[in-house]
Amino acid sequence: MSEASRREVRAGLEPCLARLWRYALILSRAKDAADDLVQATCLRAIERADQFAPGTRLDRWLFAILRSIWLNEIRARKIREGGGFVDADDALSIDGARDIETNILATQVLKVIGQLPGAQRETVLLVYAEGYSYAEAAAALSIPIGTVMSRLATARAALTKLK
Amino acid sequence: MTDDDDADLVTLIDDELDEDRKKVLLARLETDERLRERYEALRQTGAPIAASFDALLRQAPIARLRAGLPLEGPARALSGRFAGIALRDLAAGIAIGLVVAGLAAWVAMSLAPTKGKEDWRSAVVDYTNLYTNETFSPLNPDLPLQALELSAVGARVGANLTPNNIALPGLRFTVAFMLAFEHAPLGVVAFVDPDGAPVLLCIIANKAPDAAMRSEKRGDLSLAWWSRNGRSYLVIGHMPEEQAITLAQTLEKRV
Repeated sequence: MSEASRREVRAGLEPCLARLWRYALILSRAKDAADDLVQATCLRAIERADQFAPGTRLDRWLFAILRSIWLNEIRARKIREGGGFVDADDALSIDGARDIETNILATQVLKVIGQLPGAQRETVLLVYAEGYSYAEAAAALSIPIGTVMSRLATARAALTKLK
Repeated sequence: MTDDDDADLVTLIDDELDEDRKKVLLARLETDERLRERYEALRQTGAPIAASFDALLRQAPIARLRAGLPLEGPARALSGRFAGIALRDLAAGIAIGLVVAGLAAWVAMSLAPTKGKEDWRSAVVDYTNLYTNETFSPLNPDLPLQALELSAVGARVGANLTPNNIALPGLRFTVAFMLAFEHAPLGVVAFVDPDGAPVLLCIIANKAPDAAMRSEKRGDLSLAWWSRNGRSYLVIGHMPEEQAITLAQTLEKRV
């Protein structure tokens, strides 16, 4: 069991990297912090691979690790060090000139999302980008389903103001 | 209209509303024009949110993140596995009873270059056995992201990979990523069947001579492979051998 767990975790890390980074960016709103967070998550996942149940959702297990590291370690450290957070206007953006027209709307949407409180940003990501059901998101975030509903509604309401 | 209305409308849009509340809300929507307008405004935010998160995914610094993976990470594990296979082959086929370690240098000089071209398939078999129906199923990139991933992997192995030319009947493309084997770049294009079972197209730029398609079963896995223009191609998955051949023949014509 533990050897199977270790092998499955190692094999599954690579395909999850981009999605882990996106989650890390949504939480931290800072690309350097997102890089650190993904690396810390991968290290922790390998260290604790024995705790992974083979055949279950590795991506969600990794997300839970990432979230825990963010809440308990990196965010706390940044606050302690007075690093605070970046200006939300610049926090989530699309780099590069490619597909500029297509990216204008995406950039506007991300700007609005970037200005939402962290809890709302995270809920929006899990449900709308990662396909969590409301119940799964509620369980992952340890909140009632009603809170998931209100967070998503607030986020969508903010986006209705985009023209 | 209230915040509760927004929450119910969004929950309805997301198809998460319980039946009782859904009936009540649908009845109100039939008669309340302002509520209908609000429903439509909220509904229209769905596609931009999804597109924005996809755009963010494309920004991920994959090469940098991959470089930060622990030593036991996939690429390195695959490279490392080759050493184990070569030594096992040596022990079984040539040097039974001898001290294997003492022959390692000889293997590196004379046997490994030949064996390496063959054994990458064994390494891929080992690796494919690690993937489950859950490994790739959650990945569902949009077309621009598919094109981007395929183009990046194609550039590394010298192959032209596009969403169109790798499309296979009955399979859904999920992700393309790079591994390495014996310092040769190894591109992986991962598909899933309707049950989520992985089917991989692997391409390695190993300078192998051209070779016609061959196939075999290894346990539950079927393999079909060929070499052309300095690259070897392998289709592998849990499926009948004939199906692997058919998929490989389709790809051979296009990639």
